[in-house]
Amino acid sequence: MSIAPAPIVVDRPDQDESVAPDIPWIVLVWNDPINLMSYVTFVFQKLFGYSIEKATELMLDVHEKGRAVVSNGTREKAELDVFRLHEHGLWATMQRDDA
Amino acid sequence: MGRKPRPPIERHGAGFRFNLDLEEREMVHRLMGEMRALLEDPDDGDGRLKRIFPTAYHQDGDQALDDEYQRLMREEILASRLKGLDVVDEFMNAASGDRANATEAQMMAFLQALNGIRLVLGTMLDVDEAHDLDDIAEDHPLAGEYNLYDFLSWMLDWSVRAVQS
Repeated sequence: MSIAPAPIVVDRPDQDESVAPDIPWIVLVWNDPINLMSYVTFVFQKLFGYSIEKATELMLDVHEKGRAVVSNGTREKAELDVFRLHEHGLWATMQRDDA
Repeated sequence: MGRKPRPPIERHGAGFRFNLDLEEREMVHRLMGEMRALLEDPDDGDGRLKRIFPTAYHQDGDQALDDEYQRLMREEILASRLKGLDVVDEFMNAASGDRANATEAQMMAFLQALNGIRLVLGTMLDVDEAHDLDDIAEDHPLAGEYNLYDFLSWMLDWSVRAVQS
């Protein structure tokens, strides 16, 4: 991802910790050289209601590790999340959570 | 293209204010028009659109699922992007003087449209993580496109700052 100034902290509720352990599909966002780091963080906040801290952490995982799991759920839910990420121009895919 | 002390886009009351000069507004308008032309008659094999219609199922063995996703969602993504361009056109055309105002919903459409154009241009230029405009020689055959890419990056970053402020 392209480097951009640090995001400005906004006061948003943190709704990101509700991950059920037995859900079969995960949504991944992959690193790419085009999307701005600030934009990726913003999309995570907007689509998933993540706090700025959680969204930034996920964005940095994408940037530094090459990918991050950003959501999970049934195949239908994962596909909808992938679609919304694609609508926003992020490089997202999904796979069964067989880890 | 000059950088002004006033942010090009800032939060203003319940919405956003665009402080773009005529040259910048015309540039945005032209790019939105070019994006619309590209999307209104998309070619399946057009490499410039690779990032607009990404793969959803990347694992071996899921090709049939991805084919189905592309069959169902490609038109949805196309419609969503064209609708976003309509929204941007609407408020940009209503601009008065150097100022245009956008609601929250219009601003979201602007962000997505701007980012979509960056994806197409960045794909065409094959930019990498180390991209730096300073490395592009003035007489590079694509110097104009690289400058445009950086203009879009500058505007998108200010747009994100505005919505997060």
